[in-house]
Amino acid sequence: MTNSNVKTARYWQTLLAGLWRENPTLRLLLGMCPTLAVTAAVKPALTMGCCVIFVLICSNIIVSLMRNLLKPHLRILMFTLTIAAFVTIADLLLKAFQPEMSETLGPYVPLIIVNCIIICRAEACASKNGLVISIIDAVGMGVGFTLTLCVLASIRELLATGAIFEIQILTLAKDGGWFVQWAAMGMPVGAFLTLGLMLGLVNIVTRKKS
Amino acid sequence: MQQSWLLIVASFCFGLLIAVTNAALSPKIRQNEINKRNRMVTILLPEAKDFILLDEPVEIKSLQGRIEKVEIYKAMSMAGECVGWSFEATGSGFADKIKLVIALDKNFESIAGINVLASNETPGFGDQIKYDYYRGQFKGAPAGELKLVTIGERGKIDSEIVAISGATISSEAVVEIVSNSVTQIKEQMRKKGIIGNDKQ
Repeated sequence: MTNSNVKTARYWQTLLAGLWRENPTLRLLLGMCPTLAVTAAVKPALTMGCCVIFVLICSNIIVSLMRNLLKPHLRILMFTLTIAAFVTIADLLLKAFQPEMSETLGPYVPLIIVNCIIICRAEACASKNGLVISIIDAVGMGVGFTLTLCVLASIRELLATGAIFEIQILTLAKDGGWFVQWAAMGMPVGAFLTLGLMLGLVNIVTRKKS
Repeated sequence: MQQSWLLIVASFCFGLLIAVTNAALSPKIRQNEINKRNRMVTILLPEAKDFILLDEPVEIKSLQGRIEKVEIYKAMSMAGECVGWSFEATGSGFADKIKLVIALDKNFESIAGINVLASNETPGFGDQIKYDYYRGQFKGAPAGELKLVTIGERGKIDSEIVAISGATISSEAVVEIVSNSVTQIKEQMRKKGIIGNDKQ
């Protein structure tokens, strides 16, 4: 195998790791707070996912660029500083261009600062790897997180309101259909139930055959 | 003290970055807030075209006993006449704060309507405070003390507000926020002579 082929293979591996093998939500169980809190509907889940992708890419770039300057005792401090700066910018952007979404998400946007996925990627990947790998890792992890959130939110929104992305799919009983809204799915209990079932399913699929 | 300079430089750079973003976006954010409030008030006071902030400060004692400043807006019609008043009021709901926008008629005699700006009540139960069947009861209700009842007729417009079944705390919270703010503001507006003392 030539050198460039090895490189490309590594890029693909990094990208795919975030999507499935090391999916932050389903395999690493990181970032559970937004996963449970903002997945009552697909729209806020998607917005949250996009914010995390933005912060993840920006913080990975900065951390990767200054990785040679970092001393162990200042490491976490610098990570937090970087993440906090970009989360604040994401929050301001959301308030300016998506005011309704910003209100729906409420405190969960500033709370991205303490989202373990971002600090985990800064520590585990960006502070040890070059710029390109760090960006690919951020995209993989971010998209993996967003997709998981969207799947979870689709299930919950469909069961709670009969709609996905606010588009009515199941006809409600009051409109002559058969579907009765399951309000519990829109509440925290629905998030725990759905996430638990999803995690169980993923564990069955990935179980090593002994 | 190794590498402290990095921290100082980074803090400065990030601070600058946030300051620039904030400076660029804050007019738009402020405008979004004003637009949202105006949109909500225009639903409650359809004749209103323009809103003027009242210069004189009005302070009310909140339900938790804090003194809060209230911004009161005078709603003006196309012809430049006062068609009503509006302000925002906040209080504790079942799960989180409830923020309401309240509109009154021009004499502060009756409530022109209320709307929920922000709330986090239980979906399917408490969040019905946003629904017309509950909110509609405030439309035309007298601007004074309101009372929450569990059994009654929602269609009848008076000072009795019928609670949402299964969400008495949320219903009660809204009634308390409205009663508390409306009575205090009305009294102060009368004292200042902004609205008339006697019915005309």
